[in-house]
Amino acid sequence: MTFNRREFLATGAAATAAIGTPMILKAQAKEYVLGASLPLTGPFATAGQLVAPAFSLAQKLFNDEGGIAGIPIRFVTEDSGYVPQNTLANYQRVLATEGNSLVAYFSDSTGAMKLIAPELKGDNARLMGSTSFASELADPATHPYQYLSGPTYQDQFDILMQNIKLAGGSKIAIIYSNTEFGRDPLEHGRAKAAELGLEIVLEETTKPQGADIPTHVTKLAQSGAEHCILHGYVTGVWPQLIGGARQFGLPVQFHGTFWGMEKLIADRITAEAGPFLAGYQGVMPYRYFYDRDDAPRYQQYAALSKAMFAGTPLENYMSTWALQAMCGLELAMKALRATAEAGNELTADNVAENLSGISDWDSGGFFGGPVSMTNNKIGTGRVYEYSPETKLFTPSSDWLST
Amino acid sequence: MINGNLKADYSADERILNNRNKQFFVYGSMFFLTLFPVFADDYAVLMACKMGILLIAVIGVNVLTGYTGLISLGHGAFIAIGAYSTVIFSNLFDGLPTGILPFVVVPLAISVSAIIGIIVGLPSLRVKGLYLAVATLAASFIVKFLIEQDLFSPWTGGIVGIDTPVPNILGWELDTKREMYVLITVLAICTMLAAQNLFRTRVGRAFIAIRDRDYSAEILGISLLRYKLMSFAISAGYCGLSGALGAYFYARILPDQFGLNLSLELVAALIVGGMGRTLGPFFGVIIIMLVPELIKISMSSATGGSLDWARYTAPVQEIVFGLLLVFFLLKEPLGINQITDRMLRAINRWPFARG
Amino acid sequence: MGQFTQFAINGLMSGAIYALIAVGIVSVYKATKVVNFAHGYLIMFGAYFYFTFAVIIPGQEWAPEWLASWKPSWMLEMRKGLGMFSPLGAVLDWMANIPRILLGLVGAVSCNAILGRVVERTLMRPLMGQSVFAMIMVTVGLISILSGSASLIWTADAAFVPHIAPNTPIRFELFGTMIFLFGADIVNMLIALLIFGGIVTMVKFTKAGIAIRATAEDQSTAYSMGISVPKVFSNAWVLASTTGAVAGAILATRNGISPSLGLFGFSVLAIVLMGGLDSYVGCFIAAMSVGVLEAMTQWKMGGEWAAIVPYVAVLVVIIFRPHGLMGQKEVERI
Repeated sequence: MTFNRREFLATGAAATAAIGTPMILKAQAKEYVLGASLPLTGPFATAGQLVAPAFSLAQKLFNDEGGIAGIPIRFVTEDSGYVPQNTLANYQRVLATEGNSLVAYFSDSTGAMKLIAPELKGDNARLMGSTSFASELADPATHPYQYLSGPTYQDQFDILMQNIKLAGGSKIAIIYSNTEFGRDPLEHGRAKAAELGLEIVLEETTKPQGADIPTHVTKLAQSGAEHCILHGYVTGVWPQLIGGARQFGLPVQFHGTFWGMEKLIADRITAEAGPFLAGYQGVMPYRYFYDRDDAPRYQQYAALSKAMFAGTPLENYMSTWALQAMCGLELAMKALRATAEAGNELTADNVAENLSGISDWDSGGFFGGPVSMTNNKIGTGRVYEYSPETKLFTPSSDWLST
Repeated sequence: MINGNLKADYSADERILNNRNKQFFVYGSMFFLTLFPVFADDYAVLMACKMGILLIAVIGVNVLTGYTGLISLGHGAFIAIGAYSTVIFSNLFDGLPTGILPFVVVPLAISVSAIIGIIVGLPSLRVKGLYLAVATLAASFIVKFLIEQDLFSPWTGGIVGIDTPVPNILGWELDTKREMYVLITVLAICTMLAAQNLFRTRVGRAFIAIRDRDYSAEILGISLLRYKLMSFAISAGYCGLSGALGAYFYARILPDQFGLNLSLELVAALIVGGMGRTLGPFFGVIIIMLVPELIKISMSSATGGSLDWARYTAPVQEIVFGLLLVFFLLKEPLGINQITDRMLRAINRWPFARG
Repeated sequence: MGQFTQFAINGLMSGAIYALIAVGIVSVYKATKVVNFAHGYLIMFGAYFYFTFAVIIPGQEWAPEWLASWKPSWMLEMRKGLGMFSPLGAVLDWMANIPRILLGLVGAVSCNAILGRVVERTLMRPLMGQSVFAMIMVTVGLISILSGSASLIWTADAAFVPHIAPNTPIRFELFGTMIFLFGADIVNMLIALLIFGGIVTMVKFTKAGIAIRATAEDQSTAYSMGISVPKVFSNAWVLASTTGAVAGAILATRNGISPSLGLFGFSVLAIVLMGGLDSYVGCFIAAMSVGVLEAMTQWKMGGEWAAIVPYVAVLVVIIFRPHGLMGQKEVERI
């Protein structure tokens, strides 16, 4: 290979320049930065790509309202590939380049939240929301700066199991992905089932993608379960499992948790493989976006989406995943604005204190009524059922709180 | 000029830095590394720390693959063992004063790694080449699987990972990245020197003999059993040290950090840098760590940080990683070290013949 | 006992697919002495090609309607009144998909054949005669190139691909337990076994097959006997990538499409080493036994343990038989 000296020097200079650039960025005009990592590639890319537009919408919406006490905000959104250490690296990078302008961060997985949690100390601490509903995070004593914009996965299991009990079920199966996300509510679920007198006849772990569907369905068939909870999946595996079970004619009632409840995915499955999701139920902390008659905040979103995403499928519908991100950002903004208006510095401690003090918040759409932050989470949700004819998830229970 | 390399005695010829250009390069680099934390920003320091940690592991792989000629695709597992042992032993010896804890824990982590290295190396006595590559690959999958098991989660934290202790060296608490940089750089330079010197001893020469032809080496009286396992132990030990530093560097470790990608990264860095050369890992790590960063920075500045394009960055990084590996194998199998050697030689002989 | 039979059958069905994947690795090794670490990623490309030709292209506006869903009037007549998952209904639903399944298979096989040839030409051919280490490492580099390219070309979307065969449920009682089988799985197994048998016969009896065996025996002698060794090389790669395309299509229908399909390559690599790199029979035995072992582990210990079965098995076998169950012992001369 011929790599002459001049080329070598040029490459070296380019490398030095690249490392040096962040130092120049540091001295920028006054604005607040909110960082985010999203899984734009990797196993949950579909979700990440649906959530991403919400951030440009949020930037416009919040800046139109005056940013944080008159100072505009800017989002720095990056790809993580659903790899926790990438999220950590993204966080550390934006922390190093933006310094004190960075006021909050939105991270993208249970694993990342847990990996970053111990890094949030002293000057490195920032308020951190995420796509995760991991139960371990809902504890201000151990995770003071991290919060959930809904109920934990454990709460979701509680709601589902109570609903199963009400429906007269007795034998349940739990199928979950072998990830920290999938395993999160398992132990709690066992205890809850014992408490309610439900018998867990099958606990099956699968790969998060590319799972061996025929074998899992066979095990489900032979377990004789009446109800089956699917947890830890986003776009893949759960539809195939339900499809396989229906082909065998199993009379199992399937239940999902937040990430398996997206209308876009359910619609696509119906279009591609037939109406086998009929009767599929699951727990959802938010209202669906089409249920916005008395939801002023949703109507604002809708008006903005129409303007910003004209001609795309996002024009009229915002996915539940994007709603979760929006809810997280609304909470963060509320806390940041309250801190700034009180004349305090936007340190993680000040903001977190304001966040945990949020009570009787009228979200203007997300939830059934006014909600409060308790233990850095909002423990409310409701069970919805999918109908392939109307292509809608309709509520089959009232708002339940835990 | 070439006559500047005059050597008047044997000791001058035996020196590691046996000419002025090498001296200039090595001392210059050390000078740069010393000043680096003074002028670099946080992110550059962070990258440098990561590079240092990876470098120590690549030096370890170099001992095994570059010098002894045994292929391993599973060295990520030894880093994992080093990291997890550090955490486990730190929790176990909680009673010791924190200032001396690292002096107990890190050597223990290194030895656990080395012992497991010997166990994984056992098949190397019977199989060679790609059989060994697959055997090590299989072993690394199994190690990661065991770490994730619920059965061991009281010690390893299972799939959700475990928090790591803050290192404290005789009362000096290294709780910032800049302090970690000092520790990592010092240790990286020490390990590099140790590796260089290893190959000036009887053991190192035995490794090289085994690499060149194992049966011939055996006929010369080199015990294959002993030296192959020793090579595995040393190389796993280096990776164990790298893992221990990684555990101190990150506030939490997850089993996912030590997957197949890490093992492939180690081998790729070695091939790109130059196998069986002391500075090979050094150059390789710089390329393997910096190129993805450069791609990311240039792609985001070219697209103005647009989210629509952000999702193409990771695939491009992956492709370039593969292309680098293939390119060096096809065009420059001896790696960057060969390129720098050529340049040094050309400078040395200037203005006479080059090449 | 009934459950045992159930999982044994499941195991044999996945074992057959392992064997189909293994055939590609063995053929390339026999001809070129290269162990292809990236074979799983060739399979993943096959799966994505199948998805492209069977789902994306028929879904385009310019594609004729019969391609997406072929519905002659007699079929609509028969379909009327049948339940969604009734056996006959499943067969009819499958028949509506026949045009796009065929297009998908033809497209996947031919695109993968081109891909295999390109890889051989650009990456493997220049390394002819070089060290084995370099060749292996090139295939390791190929892993990143292929998986990166796949995520550039196809966005990660969970989509259903049509089953190759009618997915009629089969249920019967054995030893007091209900046995559940998917129709498509049985057909998949038969396809895999047929292709496997076909290739073994071809290598044994046809001229091209004899050329492969001769090259495997001794490259330079084969060269001097008038066999075009480069041609043998590229034939072997094409063979591997086309069988990989079929395997990819089958895996896509079974497990859904995702970049993680590439990881199958590693477990099959372990199986191949277990069976012996240059022995079709050994690999067949290894594939079937790993398939059954995996299913048994799945049954008794759960999904996460099944994932490491091939790796544990290969380590155990290698320690006792360094060249696999039926592999040829290499004779080294100094």
